[in-house]
Amino acid sequence: MNLSQLKGKSLSDAAALLGADEKSIALERFLSLGLPTKKSEEYRYFQVEKLLEQEYRTLTYIPKPIQEAEKIIIVDGVVTHAPHGMRVYYDQCQAMDMTHFDPLYYLGHLLSPHVIKIDLDGDTDVEIEHHYTQSDALITYRIVLLNQSNRHATLFESFHEEEIENTLVLYGYDTFVAPDSTLRILKNQYMHGNRYAMVASHRLQLEQRANAVIKSFDMGSDMGLQLIKADLDRYAHIDAGHLLYLNDEAQRGTVSKIVHKGEHSTSHQEAKNILDGHSRGIFDALIKVEHSAKWTKAHQNSKAILLDERAYMAAKPQLEIYIDELEASHGSTTGQLDEKQLFYLRSRGIAKQEARKMLVIAFANTLIEQVKDHRHQEIIKETFDKAFYQTSQKEAS
Amino acid sequence: MSKILEIKDVHAKIGEKEILKGLNLDLEPGKVHAIMGPNGAGKSTLSKTIVGHYDVEVTEGDILYKGKSILEMEPEERALEGIFLSFQHPVEIPGVNNAYFLRTALNAKRKHEGKEELNAAEFLREMKKHLEMLGMKADMISRSLNEGFSGGEKKRNEILQMLILQPEVIILDEIDSGLDIDALRAVSEGINMMKDGKRSFLVITHYSRILDYIKPDYIHVLKEGRIIKTAGPELVAQLEEHGYESIVEEA
Repeated sequence: MNLSQLKGKSLSDAAALLGADEKSIALERFLSLGLPTKKSEEYRYFQVEKLLEQEYRTLTYIPKPIQEAEKIIIVDGVVTHAPHGMRVYYDQCQAMDMTHFDPLYYLGHLLSPHVIKIDLDGDTDVEIEHHYTQSDALITYRIVLLNQSNRHATLFESFHEEEIENTLVLYGYDTFVAPDSTLRILKNQYMHGNRYAMVASHRLQLEQRANAVIKSFDMGSDMGLQLIKADLDRYAHIDAGHLLYLNDEAQRGTVSKIVHKGEHSTSHQEAKNILDGHSRGIFDALIKVEHSAKWTKAHQNSKAILLDERAYMAAKPQLEIYIDELEASHGSTTGQLDEKQLFYLRSRGIAKQEARKMLVIAFANTLIEQVKDHRHQEIIKETFDKAFYQTSQKEAS
Repeated sequence: MSKILEIKDVHAKIGEKEILKGLNLDLEPGKVHAIMGPNGAGKSTLSKTIVGHYDVEVTEGDILYKGKSILEMEPEERALEGIFLSFQHPVEIPGVNNAYFLRTALNAKRKHEGKEELNAAEFLREMKKHLEMLGMKADMISRSLNEGFSGGEKKRNEILQMLILQPEVIILDEIDSGLDIDALRAVSEGINMMKDGKRSFLVITHYSRILDYIKPDYIHVLKEGRIIKTAGPELVAQLEEHGYESIVEEA
């Protein structure tokens, strides 16, 4: 399949190409937004056309019996393992966001008519491992996450791939955070070797007094973009943190739209970006405060360190505000490692490379140390080390 | 007279401005050398030059440590060989844990000396006695390096590093600035503990106050980028009374 064929297609032609119902609302939304190009606002800094123009094999989904394991394992979009007693099943996605800004959110839904539903019952801590094993493939799947009121759930996602190449993954979750509950989603993704590219398009619906914590740790190289749309009801709160640690020719980052709909809703979004090599980091984030959202608080901030003069940070924090009764701020800085700090460490006998690493970790630590679970934090730190030594080895050679 | 550090006709500039203009100075093992001089004389540039600061470019002359030139050595190599600078204004490094930093520095030194690295528990035991002596709160080592430290706490932390790393040439750049009497006493005690008859100290100061606590063997007057006079501790009284203008350059 070549996704660029969908460009400019009529409803009936697109429906035929995608095997979708012409009356599908998702198809209508997808066509009204259009296939993304470099002129699309949300893909301005990400070479999406290059990915869409390739020819991919489409995979035939054959759901397998789910085996018992400590974590949820999804291989090429198919659930193979899940913890005992956890409800993980395929179903129709009955509640799609009809105001999502990303056309690939709708394309993902159209190509994944059956979503993977995960019921997070009670206070729970779940790990999802995503595995990719197919080369030249278009892997599309979507997850629906449902939690319960007055409960606290944590989801830790990691991504693993075999020696594959030229695969595109269109993935994402639709999440409904129940009233008075907390849902933490931690994502740890190391990409290297151009084995696959990913566009992950998410939607979060936060009910009254719901609390969502979204922390993403994107490291290594390659192409990957996450697009997040979050709607906040009264007294809902979202705490979003994004760490990028990139090298080589990476193009990675976050495009987000957080919409305050209810009164007294609050949001805090922080991006820390460390860019080496010829990499490009993306933080294109809009916080919108609607007329109905009086007395909200909205703060966002992006900080970037460029370790190479060829690295580039596209930081675009934005506020769109329709009321006066609120507290809001946004800001962005880009700089280099502090030479005074580097010298101080070296003057105590610490080698330059080690000193650089200490400073880079120090910069990232404010986000990494927000991960309270020690095991998850250690995994993220190990990934960070891997990304650091990948860059260092390259410099040494 | 043996020499641990020899500064030979050093000319050094920061940017386009020449600061050191043919500076000569020998440090003897086991001795305390005090450098005094007016503002802008080049005192801090001298300390930066010895430790290989990126701001400074040496255009002429040489610096020998134990008979070997160090000008081509990286700052970390100079430190591992035993040269230590206590900074006038230690930088704050948020996110770098003080204990982790100190252990990394100590283990780099131990590795360089062919010794086994210390684990966290061994290191903390080693550290505890120094903390008590310096009157430092235990939580200061679990905080980020110098972040939010008062002026006195920063200087104590410099001395803590010196005690842990056990260097052989110790440069103290305005160690007394910003210290109250108690802090000055604790810091001086730490410095005096390091005197072992082999280590050499270079105390850079504006005021003679610190020299009441760390007794110098030599006083060197630095003016306009050169040492213009070297004498015994009795010179301090003359400087106090008549100022730097009274010093006439020695032939």
